[in-house]
Amino acid sequence: MSLNQIERAQGLRVRSSQDLAAGLFMILLAGIAFVMSYELPMGTLRQLGPGMLPKSFAAICAALGALLVISSLRFHGEKLSGWSWRGVFFVLGAACVFALCIRGFDLGPIHVPQLGLAVAGPLVILISGLAADDLKPKELVIFAVVMSTACALLFKYALSLPIPLAPWLLGI
Amino acid sequence: MFSNLSLGFGVALSLQNLALCFAGCLVGTLIGVLPGVGPIATIAILLPITFGLDPVGALIMLAGIYYGAQYGGSTTAILVNIPGEATSVVTTLDGHQMAKQGRAGVALGTAALGSFFAGCVATLFIAALGAPLTKLALLFGPAEYFSLMVMGLCFAVVLARGSILKAFCMIMLGLLLSTVGTDLETGQERMTMGFPPLADGIDFAVLAMGVFGFAEVLRNLENTETRDVVRAKIGRLLPGWDDIKQSIKPVLRGTLLGGILGILPGNGAVLGPFASYTLEKKLAKDPSRFGKGAIEGVAGPESANNAGAQTAFIPLLTLGIPPNAVMALMVGAMTIHGIIPGPQVMTKNPELFWGMIASMWIGNLMLLVINLPLVGVWVKLLQVPYRLMFPSILIFCCIGIYSVNNQPVDVAFTAMFGLFGYLLIKLGFEPAPMLLGFVLGKLMEEKLRQALIISRGSFMTFLERPISAGLLVVAVAILVIALLPSINKKRDEVFTE
Repeated sequence: MSLNQIERAQGLRVRSSQDLAAGLFMILLAGIAFVMSYELPMGTLRQLGPGMLPKSFAAICAALGALLVISSLRFHGEKLSGWSWRGVFFVLGAACVFALCIRGFDLGPIHVPQLGLAVAGPLVILISGLAADDLKPKELVIFAVVMSTACALLFKYALSLPIPLAPWLLGI
Repeated sequence: MFSNLSLGFGVALSLQNLALCFAGCLVGTLIGVLPGVGPIATIAILLPITFGLDPVGALIMLAGIYYGAQYGGSTTAILVNIPGEATSVVTTLDGHQMAKQGRAGVALGTAALGSFFAGCVATLFIAALGAPLTKLALLFGPAEYFSLMVMGLCFAVVLARGSILKAFCMIMLGLLLSTVGTDLETGQERMTMGFPPLADGIDFAVLAMGVFGFAEVLRNLENTETRDVVRAKIGRLLPGWDDIKQSIKPVLRGTLLGGILGILPGNGAVLGPFASYTLEKKLAKDPSRFGKGAIEGVAGPESANNAGAQTAFIPLLTLGIPPNAVMALMVGAMTIHGIIPGPQVMTKNPELFWGMIASMWIGNLMLLVINLPLVGVWVKLLQVPYRLMFPSILIFCCIGIYSVNNQPVDVAFTAMFGLFGYLLIKLGFEPAPMLLGFVLGKLMEEKLRQALIISRGSFMTFLERPISAGLLVVAVAILVIALLPSINKKRDEVFTE
């Protein structure tokens, strides 16, 4: 008898927290999709409606999720590992800052002018650079300036993409 | 075939196309060498730049990036022991050992020469197979196309790394994501939450860059890899007579194996190097040498890798079905230029079809020339620490995503998908099959609807038409075989080796 079979005889308990979470995640996504496509008509087989495929796919996703949950109770697998908030916060935050700065935005009382690549570029590098474990602040600042200049030259001039550089300062 | 090839060379040898091919190969090698930047993210970034080019030139450059990356990936695998690309995982086993023994140059040389040979054969292979397959494709109705895509997705499930069930989940999730957006027939908005940027559906570049650009950065930040760049001398690059004698048969077998697997829809190209390595180990007189610097373990998989990367163009060019995520981006590039991929490309745009094929051969020659003398430069690049690398990746991704539609909101969306991708990685999912499902989803829905309209709502049409039934039988067979316990165990072995 293999180890797994012996374990199986000892009743159900969570043997792979990763698979369990993955299964629940699939069921959750399927649920969201099902709710969002709830009002779409299914149509008939002869003339498929817009809701037919989203609902079918969601149902299959949920079924697969359930299978994953069951298998997580029966078979050994990986455990859920830690989650690095630092990386998520700084890396994805940097991208969001870029999205906000490049063309400016209005959000209620907050008004950010069109800052362009000249500001958004260094910001992306500085903010995301904070995610590194072996951070060297001086090096990062120099790198931010050099890299942004290089990007401006490469994308704006060499490849002539229509990306605003610094509309508030240079008007381009 | 030869008159066609000469037409192709006429197109590919124009000064502009040569320059674009060179640029593509150089960029491809660069990103192949750098771990953490893949061809998917790069092509997505460079897509907006190709808007201004003519379609042939644009596709020549993008193709160059793709197969250039396969070359570059092996350099990193040999010198640093981390695969620059997913397909060069196997090369780390023996390639890095060779480098440790002071034979890095020979390993690099063998990999480059083997890849070049494989590239040449694969180019001829595409040229020879292209025309007959296109004729076959004309027999395909909607039902056949649908079944073919089902088969492709089944292959993708079986060939994915990790658990089959999880790969299945990813495919279905990709299909589910592809249904977001306006319904093509009724014009009704589906799952958009009334959010206007979603009306056109999720942008492929946004999804790809989020899951493969940002999420990869997050993954890499977590495991601070130890890079042992080989300090020993690279040594001479050209393999000696003994090395050539040892590696000539593995190269031939690898090319054949990789070439055939590459045609399979569902990213068969990934399997090539693994299959070749396993085969060489089985055939070797002394299998214990493998993993300790056996030259066959570099020559075979590297040839298979390159052959597969090139024959992966066959389903795209003849049937219009992208077999993997990179090819899906090529579809995007083609449609931007008003070319609908499929069997009609060869008759309507012969200069595009044959020009691209000819450029692949030229590109392979260029790669041989770029790669070997520039090894020193690549080594220098590999010593750049990751703390400077990932902010650069990030800024390139941001600028690239922004430029696709000039929409800042796309960048925020990408960040969201980055988080989503990171979550998937944490849950043990491999995101590559999701992308393929996403790409094929829209096309599958369209063909399914057409087929059902033609058959008046009868699902039997998929089984009554012989080609379609055959494809579905293959799809079911491959799933059943993969799920058999004995094979399942072997599959794990192949992928963990």
